[in-house]
Amino acid sequence: MKTLDIARKDLLRSSRSFSVWVFGLAVPLLTSGIFFFAFGGLGDGGFDLPVTQVVVANLDSPVNGFSAGQLLLNFLKAEDFKEILAVSEVADAVTARRVVDQQQAGLAVILPADLTAALVRPGERAVVELYQDPTLTLGPGIVSGIIGQFVDGLIGSNIAANVVTAQLARYGHPIDAATSQAIAVEYGRWAAALGAHQQQETSALLEIHRPAVEPGSEDVRSRIVSLIMAGMMVFFVFFTGAASAENLLAEEEAGTLARLFTTPTPISAILAGRMVATLVTLILQVVMLVTASALLFHVHWGSPAPAMGVAAGMILLAAGFGLFLTSLLKDRRQGGLVYGGVLTVMGNLGMINIFTAQVAGPARQIFDTLSLLVPQGWAVRGWQLLQAGGGIGDVLVTVLVMVSLAGVFFAAGLLRFRKRFA
Amino acid sequence: MNGQPAIQVRDLHKRFGDLHAVKGISFTVPAGQIFSLLGPNGAGKSTTISILSCLLQPTSGDALVMGHSVQREPMAVKAAIGVVPQEIALYEDLSARENLDFWGKMVGLRGAALRQRVDEVLEIIGLADRQKGRVAKFSGGMKRRLNIGIALLHRPQVIIMDEPTVGIDPQTRRNILDSVKELNRQGMTVLYTTHYMEEAQELSDQIAIMDQGRIIAQGTHQDLVQIVGELDRVDLTLNALPDWVTDRWQQIPGVQKVIVGAPSHPQATDGERTVTLLVDDSNLVLPRLFESATQAGVRITSVTIQEPNLEAVFLHLTGRALRDE
Ligand SMILES: Nc1ncnc2c1ncn2[C@@H]1O[C@H](COP(=O)(O)OP(=O)(O)OP(=O)(O)O)[C@@H](O)[C@H]1O
Ligand SMILES: [Mg+2]
Repeated sequence: MKTLDIARKDLLRSSRSFSVWVFGLAVPLLTSGIFFFAFGGLGDGGFDLPVTQVVVANLDSPVNGFSAGQLLLNFLKAEDFKEILAVSEVADAVTARRVVDQQQAGLAVILPADLTAALVRPGERAVVELYQDPTLTLGPGIVSGIIGQFVDGLIGSNIAANVVTAQLARYGHPIDAATSQAIAVEYGRWAAALGAHQQQETSALLEIHRPAVEPGSEDVRSRIVSLIMAGMMVFFVFFTGAASAENLLAEEEAGTLARLFTTPTPISAILAGRMVATLVTLILQVVMLVTASALLFHVHWGSPAPAMGVAAGMILLAAGFGLFLTSLLKDRRQGGLVYGGVLTVMGNLGMINIFTAQVAGPARQIFDTLSLLVPQGWAVRGWQLLQAGGGIGDVLVTVLVMVSLAGVFFAAGLLRFRKRFA
Repeated sequence: MNGQPAIQVRDLHKRFGDLHAVKGISFTVPAGQIFSLLGPNGAGKSTTISILSCLLQPTSGDALVMGHSVQREPMAVKAAIGVVPQEIALYEDLSARENLDFWGKMVGLRGAALRQRVDEVLEIIGLADRQKGRVAKFSGGMKRRLNIGIALLHRPQVIIMDEPTVGIDPQTRRNILDSVKELNRQGMTVLYTTHYMEEAQELSDQIAIMDQGRIIAQGTHQDLVQIVGELDRVDLTLNALPDWVTDRWQQIPGVQKVIVGAPSHPQATDGERTVTLLVDDSNLVLPRLFESATQAGVRITSVTIQEPNLEAVFLHLTGRALRDE
């Protein structure tokens, strides 16, 4: 009874938390939405966007042979965007703006000389300038969205390096600028690989993942968006699992946990209440994401029965892993690092086979194995199998692995918390 | 109340690593009394209270609440007590009523009984008209009152309050003191900690003065004041303070103790200084003090004379002020 009272209180509080709504629902839907509209001109041609003329002034200088500017340029010139973008290059910023002023292009993209440098060196900033024809909105708006996505991905490398540097310094292991730059370059290369794969022919990606379906029988866009939506859902469901467990730390810091221990309420009821709240939150989140994305973006989630199995496995694993991860933390300040760093890196690793879907041969196995090193990878794999038309038999092993891992994480997390609160 | 004491503390020790926070204290609170632990910051009051609320295990010794050992029967102890923690512990994103509802369930109230008791407590703490408001938007005083209200929900036999009046306006403080007396009148035993001697004096049937982990004196207010007997307390402010002035004052007949206040500025050698003296009869001593100050070329800029009080007791026993403000 008290367990349910505690769960109800936790859920009531979560429902009033702005960040729960933003990160639980809005961000994953918006991200998938960007892709949905970005690929709008492709697929079944349901969207007819005018081709936007884009001029790019790429002033970026490479660092260690890696140029973020060149990468972005290649990205924009990719086949995928042929129907919505016509990209041409000019030598400098002034020319680029003039072309827009003369209405010969809808949008100028000016990549600054220090773009790569800023992305790989912690602490530096560069500004990508978008100069657009005020009379046009839709086309340039979509291009800005695509570029924004791209730059965000790369900026992740910078943030990651900053976080690592700051944390190591705090724990007495300062690292030098060269090392931290190397971290960022490595991350940048990985992001580059990711970007490179995104510009490949999109149907190749579908060939691999939809063996059961005759090619061309389905909406190409919906398949791409489905895969991305699945990745986003996994990514954010694991955040929710951890954030929910983090409330235990928040209550510890606010003194309400100590107060609970002055009432005749056993520790087990407190922990169980928290877990019930976490599971309910995750179930609601998954139901809302699945429903909303199916309605809005025609996301195809696979057949219902096995989908429920995968969803249940994912929910248990996200809750268990969140509890375990949180049990390793001393306070919520450390939580910031973990949720911003560890979960982000793990989430991306788990999605790596979405971004590398068309890679074949030995590299394929490496990516598959790599993603299965993190719990998120198993959940992603479950959805990939389902979206490729898999049935119960195809996802059974994946679901069993998720449930077993969840059991291990739950046990370890609960044990640690019991000891801590005893 | 068949004579069983509400709280019995026996040779209680608590160590945090090297720090010996509670050094073997013992006291007994008869049922129906208000008992105050009075002491400066770091005296060990909250540590003692945490042990009584089963939040900390004692290093040695034991405490019984309504006859139940905090070590062996923590659940029975928890059912008997209501705890008001020193730091406000509320759910800020819930309303006052939602907080009371939740905490009421945690002490076993349900349904109509819970609703009725929440209404009553809202009346007692004067938040009935703000019950739907989110706690985050409450003033400090309102939060303090709710913090207390939560501990009253199950009409505990013993209510333990850790400095419930810190950081609030005089009117709310008055309110809280009155409700403590009212609760006691209704039969609750109250263990109260404070570093305000006026509160201890006004509320308590018995007071234990705590300092550095020990109880250095214990009894009724009258018993304690007896310790300093008929001594008066004289507080002086001087424009400077050469060392030998205090030496000379110490020698004046009738002066029991001379305590030099901390300089207002650490480096100040000749800034304003305060000196407190415990004397047999201020009428006889004061002229001698002025005389020697004049000889030393020191000006006395203010004089306060107080009847014996707990502050003087603390000064007398420790040579330090209860609160250095
Ligand atoms: N959890 C803890 N770990 C280590 N030391 C502690 C802990 N809790 C209290 N102490 C130390 O024990 C001593 C007594 O602290 P306590 O909080 O009991 O004092 P207090 O009388 O309540 O003071 P205050 O009036 O400031 O609340 C202090 O020196 C404090 O630093
Ligand atoms: Mg205290």
